[in-house]
Amino acid sequence: MEEHKHNDLSDSENSEIKGWYRKLVSAWIFTIPLVIIMFFGRIFNIELLPERLMTPIILIIAFPVIFIFGWSTIKSGIRGLISFYFSMDSLIALGTIIAYLTGIASLFFKIQDYSGISAMIMAIFITGKYIEARARGKATSEIMKLLQLGAKKARVLRGKKEIEIPIRDLKIGDLMIIKPGEKIPTDGVVVKGESAVDESMVTGESMPVDKKKGSPVIGATINQDGILYVKATKIGSDTFLAHIIQLVESAQSEKIPIQKLADKITGIFVPIILILALLAGVNWFFFTHDISLSIGVAVAVLVIACPCSLGLAVPIVIMVSSGMGAKHGILIRKGEAIQTIKEIKYVVFDKTGTITKGKPEVSDIYSLVPEKDLLKIAASLEKLSEHPIALAIVKKAQLKEYKRVTGFKISRGRGLEGIIGKKKIVIGNATLMKERRIPLVKIANKIREFESNGKTTLVISENGKAIGTIAVADSIKEDSINAIGKLNAQDYNTVMITGDNELTAKEIAKQVGISEVIANVLPEDKAKKVEELQKTGMVAFVGDGINDAPALKQSNVSIAMGTGTDIAIEAGDIVLANGSLTGVVQAINLSKVTFRKIKQNLFWAFGYNIVAIPLAVAGVLHPVIAELAMAFSSISVVTNANLLRRKKI
Amino acid sequence: MKKYNISIDGMHCASCGANVERSLKKVQGVKNVSVSVLMKRGTVEGEDSVKADQIKEAVSKTGYKVTSIN
Repeated sequence: MEEHKHNDLSDSENSEIKGWYRKLVSAWIFTIPLVIIMFFGRIFNIELLPERLMTPIILIIAFPVIFIFGWSTIKSGIRGLISFYFSMDSLIALGTIIAYLTGIASLFFKIQDYSGISAMIMAIFITGKYIEARARGKATSEIMKLLQLGAKKARVLRGKKEIEIPIRDLKIGDLMIIKPGEKIPTDGVVVKGESAVDESMVTGESMPVDKKKGSPVIGATINQDGILYVKATKIGSDTFLAHIIQLVESAQSEKIPIQKLADKITGIFVPIILILALLAGVNWFFFTHDISLSIGVAVAVLVIACPCSLGLAVPIVIMVSSGMGAKHGILIRKGEAIQTIKEIKYVVFDKTGTITKGKPEVSDIYSLVPEKDLLKIAASLEKLSEHPIALAIVKKAQLKEYKRVTGFKISRGRGLEGIIGKKKIVIGNATLMKERRIPLVKIANKIREFESNGKTTLVISENGKAIGTIAVADSIKEDSINAIGKLNAQDYNTVMITGDNELTAKEIAKQVGISEVIANVLPEDKAKKVEELQKTGMVAFVGDGINDAPALKQSNVSIAMGTGTDIAIEAGDIVLANGSLTGVVQAINLSKVTFRKIKQNLFWAFGYNIVAIPLAVAGVLHPVIAELAMAFSSISVVTNANLLRRKKI
Repeated sequence: MKKYNISIDGMHCASCGANVERSLKKVQGVKNVSVSVLMKRGTVEGEDSVKADQIKEAVSKTGYKVTSIN
């Protein structure tokens, strides 16, 4: 269903371009001879037609240009005038009809015949629309590609038979078979087979990702070299791709603050021009008593005004920028972020899952009791928690059987407690041990040693006595160092915020090049720390979007990692589909160039109208020149937006 | 609060979009309207009393057509 709708959109885009093209060709077939008879006579003094036949013939040739090829414009323009919902078409319709009527009037009165001019105006208008529609098609092409990325068919195993079904008939739990070179139909988990998968179209990650049994795969990515058997886990609007599309689409109707003025003006622009044209005409007639000149001025004012360049200036840039971003896995949700990002002073990173991989592993164990016993106690308790560190310990212990735990309690950000047998077990960081008055004398040196290597430690205690410590290391993402280096070079203050102790945190920060560390922060206090930083400058917060939500909300620009196959839609102003910190640098750069382009476009659009309209009112612009200028201005805004694509991010 | 996503046919310039927005805002109970000419679609947020037919009518008043609404 979803998909069907999207195809319609690009089809209608194409048919719009084709439609304008047909009108363009037909209009000029009539208009070119018109120009020849009108101007040759004057310039070369060759009389192609007898004078008294001139006007009727021009009227006949101009008629189809305006009322047949330009009919859709005339119709919508007149409807606008009647219903008081004026649009661009109203201006063109009024301008051309008035000009055409002068031709009829000139048969009876002495008045200049503008009917040939009116055909030229319409032909130029149609040409301008055609060029604009094409440029707009180019501007939207990346988004359209994204919308059409989804697979159309899936090959599934039903019973023992392989059958091909349309994607909409796919159900959760279906076993899909994907051959090399084929698109993975929907999100799922590999149950059999090994292969590399190209995920660049949805995450921007250019290297193929290896998949084996148990690996999650993303719909619309392309299987490279092996056959994969994948169980579908998400379908329709729940898939990763559907979420990305939803993000990109909703960004198109987001208004950014700088756009407000342009939008307001666009809304009242046409009525103002109608009044202005009337006033200009009346005024000129009052001073010159020349009805022909006055009509010429009024028509020029009508056709020179260009609400399109104003109204399109911002959205067309956002469109191109969203497309560029999506290609790199950068999804800008809130247009406002584009404007705010250049004011940012601090870039604050959450540590786990953002700078590091977020998949900690047990690296060292120091035990005062047999190591096996220590692990057994620890794993039995940690089994009940879902914290990444807990998972690491459970994985390390590889127990077949767990001990029974009663009175289980979690102290958020500090550790766990419970009773095994008759022994009271407390597992957690130094803060928790201090709270429970558990001395660490015998293991203190080991803890310091582990922590100064950037590892997170936890202490296991039994009946108030420490019996060992386990160190967990979370490796740094490959590109974290590079990305943070780039941000430092651009004079951002990079800050790392973490629940880890100071020693561990400082070591990790040193490794990636972050100078400022805020350690020992409970998850719920992260937002407060962001608020403190905001007293001295705007803050961008980079987090993984799951437990960082309050801090993301508090920050001026929130950048959320939409890692893997899950994507937290509500989490950030900007979402990075591939969870790499390089995306932060790219997102900042993209926002900056986008905002610059927006300002440029608004400057041209405003500047054009501010200069051109008074010139038309002053009577120095011939209506044809006025229409040419108008067409040029709306084309230039779209073309300028397309130039954004040349920027490297 | 209810939210409608609509697809609109026929808009081809920025003032068209502004017109559709203006007309939709006049519908009683409508709080937020956003129309994208480029995507040919829009979103309407409003009280539960806002009916799909009212939205369709508001759009057609400006000379454009709602092709889908949900």
